[in-house]
Amino acid sequence: MSGSLKVRVQRYRPEEDDAPWWQSFEVPWSEDTSVLDALNHIKDVEDGSLSYRWSCRMAICGSCGVMVNDEPRLGCKTFLRHYADADEIVLRPLENLAVERDLVSDIDPMLAHIETVQPWLQREQAEAPEAGETLQTPVQMARYESFSHCINCGLCYAACPQFGRNPDFLGPAALTLAQRYNLDSRDEGREARMPFLNGEDGVWACTFVGYCSDVCPKDVDPAAAINQGKVASNVNYAVNLFRLLRGGDDA
Amino acid sequence: MRKPLPPRQDALWWWRHPAYRRYMLREATALPLFLYALCLLYGVRELGRGETAFQAWLAFMESPPLIALQAVALLAVLWHAWTWFQLVPKILVIPTRHGTLPGHWLRLAHVVPAALCWLLLPLLAWWALGQFAGGGA
Repeated sequence: MSGSLKVRVQRYRPEEDDAPWWQSFEVPWSEDTSVLDALNHIKDVEDGSLSYRWSCRMAICGSCGVMVNDEPRLGCKTFLRHYADADEIVLRPLENLAVERDLVSDIDPMLAHIETVQPWLQREQAEAPEAGETLQTPVQMARYESFSHCINCGLCYAACPQFGRNPDFLGPAALTLAQRYNLDSRDEGREARMPFLNGEDGVWACTFVGYCSDVCPKDVDPAAAINQGKVASNVNYAVNLFRLLRGGDDA
Repeated sequence: MRKPLPPRQDALWWWRHPAYRRYMLREATALPLFLYALCLLYGVRELGRGETAFQAWLAFMESPPLIALQAVALLAVLWHAWTWFQLVPKILVIPTRHGTLPGHWLRLAHVVPAALCWLLLPLLAWWALGQFAGGGA
């Protein structure tokens, strides 16, 4: 199984261009040629000025996300053989993010949102290593495990029309990570995260389009995490109401 | 020097992918239901205005365009309910001793009561109307 395929790439060089433009290449492919291999071929053989992000080639680093025929995909996990019957494949930088150059998107807004929800294990009191491990049963781990597979590739942000409409929306990956740590039996940082989940740009800004879960290359299912976050937000609201009625602080 | 191209969401974003079109179809089911709700509110108003007005409203509701609207509203509500039942396992996580309750059980636990309501409520209404008419005769 082999052949050649027309690859149309969106170009944008900030020093020279005021608007993006298209460039086409004829790329030879065999059964194991990925979109990332095709981009490497173009850069090595056809046009060395083409810019794109990549690193691991095995869907771990999350760097090579691009729009392939209008779908957010990892270049290394998408193969030209699946497009053998198409006239061409069209590569664009990830949707909903600013374009720095060619296929390179600015993922800073996504990283800022992820940082907002404090996605790390938090303990109310620091423990010395001598105190030993904090143990967790397999059932406790299963509650959050699938949500911990996120590689921050940003495909879910490119798939999310709510993030496209409102860049302040914390978005699929950030809200999934918040849920991942809230569900972790070792974590005690829920009260610090809930104000962000409850806020206007938190879980309630999600309208369950669900496409984020379709495009996730690690089967994380962000739509499930966010909508479980809505349940958690409701419970948190009731708890806060109860606390306020009793004259306490909300949290 | 940086000169990033700002992202722009065009008005037809929802047409670009089948997943978005399915989402918009699900959300658009609210529109025929909104029109149907207006018709019902109008009916309540006419009921308050007396029997002649109410009979006129009934005739209005039986006109072909209104029958078509009610058919569309019925299909819309069925489709909306079906799509949400499919999504329930993503939201509802019920822990069991060995993990969580499987998705198909959760879907069944929604579909079966909904189907029963669909069958039993009209029967109940029909029976109640019969009682009412019988009592009046």
